[in-house]
Amino acid sequence: MAFNYDSYLRLEKMPTLWCWGCGDGVILKAFIRAINKMGIDQNDVCVVSGIGCSGRFSSYVDFNTVHTTHGRTVAYATGIKLSRPDKLVVCVAGDGDALAIGGNHTIHGCRRNIDMTMIVINNFIYGLTNSQTSPTTPKGMWTVSQKAGNIDPTFDTCKLAIASGASFVARETMLDPKKLEKMLIKAMEHKGFSMMEVLSNCHINLGRKNKMVSAMENLEWIDSITVSKKKYDAMTPEEQLNLLPTGILKQDTEADEYCDMYAEIQKVHQGKRSKITQDDFEKKI
Amino acid sequence: MGTFKTENPGNQPVWVNTNNCKACDICVSVCPAGVLGMKYESTSTLGAMISIDHPESCIGCNECELTCPDFAIYVADKKEYKFAKLTDDAKARQAAIVANNYMSLSEQGVK
Amino acid sequence: MATREIISTGNELAAIAAVDAGCKFFGGYPLTPSSEVMHVISDLLPKVNGVAIQMEDEIGGICAVIGAAMAGDRALTATSGPGMSLKAEQLGLAQMTEVPLVCVNVMRGGPSTGLPTRVSQGDILQSKNPSHGDYKSITFCAGSLAECYTEVVRAFNVADRFMQPVIVLLDETIGHMHGKAELPTLEEVQAGIVPRKTFDGPAEEYFPYQCESDEPAVLNPMFEGYRYHFTGLHHDKNGFPTEEIETCRKLIQRLEDKVALHEDEVESYEEFMMDDAEFMMIAYGSVSLAAKEAIRHLRAEGIKAGLFRPITIWPSPAEKIKEYTDKIDKVLVVELNIGQFHSEVQRASSRLDIDGLFKVNGRPLSPHEIVNKVKEIL
Repeated sequence: MAFNYDSYLRLEKMPTLWCWGCGDGVILKAFIRAINKMGIDQNDVCVVSGIGCSGRFSSYVDFNTVHTTHGRTVAYATGIKLSRPDKLVVCVAGDGDALAIGGNHTIHGCRRNIDMTMIVINNFIYGLTNSQTSPTTPKGMWTVSQKAGNIDPTFDTCKLAIASGASFVARETMLDPKKLEKMLIKAMEHKGFSMMEVLSNCHINLGRKNKMVSAMENLEWIDSITVSKKKYDAMTPEEQLNLLPTGILKQDTEADEYCDMYAEIQKVHQGKRSKITQDDFEKKI
Repeated sequence: MGTFKTENPGNQPVWVNTNNCKACDICVSVCPAGVLGMKYESTSTLGAMISIDHPESCIGCNECELTCPDFAIYVADKKEYKFAKLTDDAKARQAAIVANNYMSLSEQGVK
Repeated sequence: MATREIISTGNELAAIAAVDAGCKFFGGYPLTPSSEVMHVISDLLPKVNGVAIQMEDEIGGICAVIGAAMAGDRALTATSGPGMSLKAEQLGLAQMTEVPLVCVNVMRGGPSTGLPTRVSQGDILQSKNPSHGDYKSITFCAGSLAECYTEVVRAFNVADRFMQPVIVLLDETIGHMHGKAELPTLEEVQAGIVPRKTFDGPAEEYFPYQCESDEPAVLNPMFEGYRYHFTGLHHDKNGFPTEEIETCRKLIQRLEDKVALHEDEVESYEEFMMDDAEFMMIAYGSVSLAAKEAIRHLRAEGIKAGLFRPITIWPSPAEKIKEYTDKIDKVLVVELNIGQFHSEVQRASSRLDIDGLFKVNGRPLSPHEIVNKVKEIL
């Protein structure tokens, strides 16, 4: 029997509203397979999505789902997770949602290292609203808000997450759905803030006006700009330019997780342990 | 409303749910064995619909199912179906289908 | 009726009230003059296994609060004018998704950075429509130290009853005022807690947003076997996005009617010496304390003044106001803004000759100033 996605989907909402060949559907399927493999009860999962095509993710899956305003997934998820720390909380946001308007919340979610997974579906454009520049749109590409060519420099989602303190940072593409599924499992099983960037194709908006009309051409382009971390590390800086490493880029299983730390705070206030001071930590500043 | 056909319609290696297919060509592009192709279909998205032209060549690699964004194509379980082995003929046919812009070799012209 | 006495400030009483009323989550950001609410509650909540978090900004603060409320907790945020402006979009989402929460606004001089450490009542109109679109705001205003406690307790019950945010206005004077408050006992407060309605039938028969045209949504806490969708988009009975014509119209009408057709449940005002009043003052918040003192002076001089004090500001007590303005000729609205509630009184009374005493320089009004204004009018 083929894998049965039915029980994880809100069937009355199908087919999806995504364009033909949109990577969002592939990522959705990989996510469902990952949850299934982890054996987690649907009632114990919360998916919080932002605004954009990837924001529609949450309405298709049969979990506890929240569709927030633009850029706020991590802030909502922080409230949900602190309220119910034993549940699986997953944020799904696009590149604009996570890095532009939501940049501050993304940074602080990483900084707190609160136990949740943030899947940033990076399609290098604001797709839903028809092709405005996003913080990851490559320089020189045509967008509706920069028809003379994009002059904005780009963000590296993973570098930002690492610098902000996330304890698990990984990047994959939707070219290899099986690999993506495995990586999603690792990200969700990790205790701490997991930044999972998934590069995806938007041939209808980014691609069509930038000489990549079909889904396949966009997929080839994504393939050409990614390389495994192992190969990337062995390259010279000139070779590394314009390439993004894939795989696990950071994994720290020792880092303090925020809900655990807050449980300690509750103990202090209930007289069950002494105050938390700088001596409790290795890194004192 | 999308109806799902995860049940094997009758000892098939691969089958489709044409309600969900949006004719994006991705499954055709990833098949190693020339099993699939697009056929002209005036009533559906982009004027084309997926067609399983050579099921006998299907090797059960699952690439089409994994890469389909729309829950439109399904592959039998290895325990339930004896899949074929990949032949050079199948590979050649796949190359021809790609060169034909993912249309079935039986269809004329470009989409 | 048994009471207890607590000597404290308005901000601290608001925090204590929240915890007494069953609040389990606080999300906020420091903003003068409301920060003390956060300071106090950050010590009180962990004691009762609750959570208080200082987020990275005001918006993060209310997002976390809405998230916790979606998960099922009673949740509080506290801020001042600039923070309300930042929170506006999220307050709209809470209205649209019908998530209950309490938002305390300790008003300060505005607009913009304004006068951070000085008093004003300049957020009255903002509280009516903090966010874009159509919905019905519920806003209370504490007019004494004790009300900083009792109004917050009431706000949590009203928020759960109507499934939407409730704003509780304090002002810098009352927030920082230190004195004695006579409060209901803890047992009385806890006995009075009315949590949100929940559905306990089979999950297949649960439609959170399918309700009578004047009733709020029934939102079960997350993770308890009832899975549905929250979205700021227009939505159907399951919470899924839709643009269907009738569904959209009914949703907005219901957001209006669930409060508008039950105003009697939220209405609250004080009539101070109004029985034989020939001169009516209308004031709220800390100004009402000065107004009452002014009235005592005026009465001593034979002037029959009285105070009508709205406690629920929105929906406004329009009917009651009109009852008085129809029979009393001289009406004076006293407020620390340039006439925000004054415009509502004119609308409610259908009169354009309502007097106003407005002070907008960040200083409180003294009873003396009010007495002088009354005499000037007479």
